[in-house]
Amino acid sequence: MSERRSIGSVLSRLLLVDLFKGLAVTLRYNARALVEARDGADPTQAIYTAQYPKERPLVGERWRGAPKLNNDPRTGESLCIACNICALVCPVDVISVGQANREVRDGEKRKKKKVLTTFEFDTSRCMFCGLCQEQCPTLCLELTQEFELAVESRAGLVWDREMLEKGIHVVTYKK
Amino acid sequence: MSGPIALHWAPQAASPPPPPPVVPSWSPVELIESIGVPHGFAEYVVWPAVQLALILFVVLTAVAYLTYLERKVAAFIQARLGPMRVGPVGLLQPLADGLKLLSKEDLVPAGADRFVYLAAPVLAVTAALGLLVLVPFGAAWGTVTDINIGLLFLLAVASIGVLGIVLAGWASNSKYALLGAMRSSAQLVSYEVALGLALVGPLLFARTLSMQEIVESQRFTGLWWVAVQPLAFVVYFIGSLAETNRAPFDLPESESELVAGFHVEYSGFRWSLFFMAEYANIIITSAIAATVFLGGWSMPGLETAVSWIAGTDATTPLYSTAFTLLSIGVFAGKVLVLVYVVMWVRWTLPRYRYDQLMDLGWRWLIPVSLANILISAFAFLVAMRPDQGGLLGLVEVTKNGLWMGWAGTAYFLLVNLATFAMAAWLLAKLNKTAWSTDLHALRRVEALRRAGRLATAEEARAE
Amino acid sequence: MASDTPSAAAHVFEQTEMLLNMGPQHPSTHGVLRVLLKLDGETVVDLDCDIGYLHRGVEKICEHDTYPMITPYFDRLDYVAAVNGDLVYVEAVERLMGVELPRRAEYLRVILAELQRIASHLLWLATHALDIGAATIFLYAFREREEILKIFENFTGARLTAHAFRIGGLQWDANPEFVRDVLAFLDILPGRIDEYETILSENRIWLARTVGIGVLTAADAIDTGLTGPVLRGSGVAYDVRRAAPYSVYPEFDFEIPTGDTGDTYDRYLVRMQELRQSVRIVRQAIEGLPEGSVMAARVPRVIKPPAGEVFHTNESPKGEIGVYLVSDGTNTPYRLRVRPPCFVNLQALKQLAVGHLVADVVALIGTIDIVLGEVDR
Repeated sequence: MSERRSIGSVLSRLLLVDLFKGLAVTLRYNARALVEARDGADPTQAIYTAQYPKERPLVGERWRGAPKLNNDPRTGESLCIACNICALVCPVDVISVGQANREVRDGEKRKKKKVLTTFEFDTSRCMFCGLCQEQCPTLCLELTQEFELAVESRAGLVWDREMLEKGIHVVTYKK
Repeated sequence: MSGPIALHWAPQAASPPPPPPVVPSWSPVELIESIGVPHGFAEYVVWPAVQLALILFVVLTAVAYLTYLERKVAAFIQARLGPMRVGPVGLLQPLADGLKLLSKEDLVPAGADRFVYLAAPVLAVTAALGLLVLVPFGAAWGTVTDINIGLLFLLAVASIGVLGIVLAGWASNSKYALLGAMRSSAQLVSYEVALGLALVGPLLFARTLSMQEIVESQRFTGLWWVAVQPLAFVVYFIGSLAETNRAPFDLPESESELVAGFHVEYSGFRWSLFFMAEYANIIITSAIAATVFLGGWSMPGLETAVSWIAGTDATTPLYSTAFTLLSIGVFAGKVLVLVYVVMWVRWTLPRYRYDQLMDLGWRWLIPVSLANILISAFAFLVAMRPDQGGLLGLVEVTKNGLWMGWAGTAYFLLVNLATFAMAAWLLAKLNKTAWSTDLHALRRVEALRRAGRLATAEEARAE
Repeated sequence: MASDTPSAAAHVFEQTEMLLNMGPQHPSTHGVLRVLLKLDGETVVDLDCDIGYLHRGVEKICEHDTYPMITPYFDRLDYVAAVNGDLVYVEAVERLMGVELPRRAEYLRVILAELQRIASHLLWLATHALDIGAATIFLYAFREREEILKIFENFTGARLTAHAFRIGGLQWDANPEFVRDVLAFLDILPGRIDEYETILSENRIWLARTVGIGVLTAADAIDTGLTGPVLRGSGVAYDVRRAAPYSVYPEFDFEIPTGDTGDTYDRYLVRMQELRQSVRIVRQAIEGLPEGSVMAARVPRVIKPPAGEVFHTNESPKGEIGVYLVSDGTNTPYRLRVRPPCFVNLQALKQLAVGHLVADVVALIGTIDIVLGEVDR
């Protein structure tokens, strides 16, 4: 056991230099926090906080948030062709697609077509992996950038077709 | 008395000790008497009651706002904003917290010692708030009372607060609370020793235990005792961190190990009583440090500032009022700086372990403060004027306090630093394993020590 | 007390050990770990880990799911290092299928995986420091981690459970700002690591709490089957990225930091060095990022690997994570087994903690760096 000691190391130990180094870092942050501007979520600034309800974050373009069923913008009809792939591919079985064979007019001809009747999406169990929107052949089902999904009852977490097409009403708090 | 050594140079002889500094003579008691209240009643009942009410109000508000300050300081250190939602920049947050705590259920755990459980927080907070009577918040009528054993009384009552913590931990019928209480009783008992011993150093210079007189003595000498007793100040500060359960010594409530320690079972208002006691204790220990080491309410230039406002006649009510209020401001400023340092330290440093805390207390702080007393006392004796029993004549004891020039100050500072070096050297010899500056060697030694201990523990189990 | 007649004094001074139940609801057990401690005073005499509070039966679930549906479950094993979990699974399936990946996909995978390693180590540092009482490091480390999560969010669409990779490549190419964001982050991080080290590395309290705590010799570590920083802290330079290279790791220049005494402080130093090494790897990968597609050309729409089995391992931030996959030629695996590094590393806790104090147990749980999602599966 050989210990090397220099006067410098002894002194720095006695004068608590190691502690003061750390204290200097935190004091610098404290001083900077008092004078620097804050834009929110900027890692180069002294204060990183973004005040959430007041300052809303820009969610990534590819964000997998609230589900949505898209309608054809020209006709206003659902893009869903009731193929059931989303329900099959979902690892946690949150989607159930209701379908019916209906007679529809296509110009002069009348033909039978599978159409969507109901669509249920249980957001309480959804893990937002995005497999359903990846597999959707008509780009109907989409996970949007909406991320505030809280509701006041469990039943409200099961979204029906109407909610999926219109989206839920999100109260945006400004304060 | 002068002895055979020819040391009859007397630098103080040219400048005799000055007269004692002015103290305003008017007090609001006269105001109360002027409306017809009898003298004794006014001085011993009415005016103290007013003072106590004021102090309780101010200190309880201060305690509430210390929580706010703590959260803000923590936030700014940690790149956050802290409370911002209740009121402008969160200024009403303490109020909201208080309301929330008041409206919460007051739980008593099953199997708890009900009476003790309910009484413990009251004991803790009473001990803390009772100390306020003796804190010299300001000059003249800025303090409630001043007794000749003031500091002793403060230390004695402060240690009752420990009982509250111990009883709370015991009565909770919870293992975590019990461990917290055990830790805290050990910690507080051992650190109180260091704390008390650290205070003896400056008392050598103040030559009194009365809080007001300690301030006056520093005012008279024109020196804060931290200048001649820096070592004692450091020891006192470290001890007071431990005494108030603040990081890096917050073991009794160490959140990550014992969840919340002794108050783990408490809820609602009783919990907030512990919280209040903690913050009140921070204020008190900081106030004692400010009084004993940092000159209390005195400040160079205070008298000048007062004379600008109120002239130089010390008997007028205006002078007295200005003096008292300014001195209270100075005192509050000093306490606030110390409180900030306490918070700053808390949010930077990790937490000691229980046994390391004991090591630090018993093997370092107590020997250092003992050595400090011994050497300071000896140095003091040597430095006194020959006709008063000393040798060097650097210090003169007058009836108003000590008188020493710059030579005396430098002498005591040097002695203190020498004490520091000697104590450190001696302790380093004594505490070998706890003291090494070579990191790699330390790590090897520690590793071996631990490995040895591990092996014995396994052997013990095998038997 | 050897006397035959038990006296009152004998009863009073009888030594009893206290059983302390730490967790599953405890701030420092990093999730829902329950540790039963047998204490003599505050010294740990014996210790038992009770796991399974987060058991979801992932391995069994995987037998019912098709291959693409399994990837999100790997996000949720080690949920603070989701990308590394994804990586080992998709690589295992790709090995079974014999898919060759475009180089851009490999590079992007390495970048994401190393960023995730940084994020995981930062989270470890944050919680470990918090356990030992340094609360401020917690928020500093989270601030830097947040930048990584933002990069993940923009790239993959989720912050934590990224679902970053698909069998045969990636779902999306990098978003346009990706390279810029990553480089900006790499510029900030080394200075911030210096800041953490200023606060901790020489701090006497930090040293007192970590040096010589939980010493683990190299032989013991190997015998227990430990991997990752815990093993490297004991001085064994075993890193899957070197020992059995996968992806494009052989193309990068990096070192494998090791400790020498195998105590908590060594494991801390190793992880701090790994942060810097990961920065090096990411920088090299960004500089050499090739152009091209991010999805292999010949990946069938329905994935049915040929019958056979594969055992594939990766270096996750916690250690060596392995996937044993048996395919019977259908679209679901016949059997899938995960070799979880956290589960194995947790077994060392008893060796580490016996003889230390309660406060050290907390530090030791932190130094092993467990995630209960992976321990319990």
